[in-house]
Amino acid sequence: MATSEQHDAAGRAESELHLPARRSELSVARKYAGDVGAEFGLDPDGCYDFVLAVNEAVTNAIRHGASDERGLIHLSIVADEDRVTFSVRDFGSFVMPVMDGPVNSDHGRGLAMMASLVDEVQLEIEPGGTTVRLSKVRP
Amino acid sequence: MRSFYIGDNFEEDDSSDGDLAVLMMGGELDYEVSPQIRARLVGAIKDGRRRLVLDLSDVTFIDSTAIGVLAGTVVKLDEAGGGSLAVVCAHEKVVQIFEITGLDSVIAVHSTREEAVSALSFVR
Repeated sequence: MATSEQHDAAGRAESELHLPARRSELSVARKYAGDVGAEFGLDPDGCYDFVLAVNEAVTNAIRHGASDERGLIHLSIVADEDRVTFSVRDFGSFVMPVMDGPVNSDHGRGLAMMASLVDEVQLEIEPGGTTVRLSKVRP
Repeated sequence: MRSFYIGDNFEEDDSSDGDLAVLMMGGELDYEVSPQIRARLVGAIKDGRRRLVLDLSDVTFIDSTAIGVLAGTVVKLDEAGGGSLAVVCAHEKVVQIFEITGLDSVIAVHSTREEAVSALSFVR
């Protein structure tokens, strides 16, 4: 695990974490998201939702995405006065989930869960990979 | 926060004819542990269990893959000729995930084990 933290020209705090694309790293990603959310000032309820949304994005990256040449997926955080944004980047081909599948389907809920847990979800789909950005607005 | 655990055995309910059983789980249910959960539930159905109570009172976190395993168990029970799955949830946020995903419409969510066992005792 490698982390780095800096501030950009606008004074926004940025940090990065690169994780091996393995199931066992999910708890590491949750701990990271929880620490960031709490430091940003999310209340426990909002922090829980933020962590769960991040868990879903990282799970998707491990499950459906692809790691970089070093076997890593890239996580990054940007926090400013108003919002905290957690980005998860993988290097695979995005597969759009079936959003209107049967309620007892055994897959396809991750994206809908993210949307219900954070204030904004952005998907950036490129030939070389997918970035999911999850934003929580300061309460 | 307590890490994931799953009970060694299903606890049989003496008042039933043997197809009603309770399994305790706790901690965080995610993509890492979902294969263990799926294997245990599939094994139970193969062993003839048709009325399953999952006691999630100690579960503090459940993600979409674990939710998917529970939804898939409902399908497997149907494929095995019919059955019922009920869960016991104490953690407010875990209950909320069942509601967000709509799974509470196909799996009954109870606040106590007694309530869940009682509800399934009348399901044949």
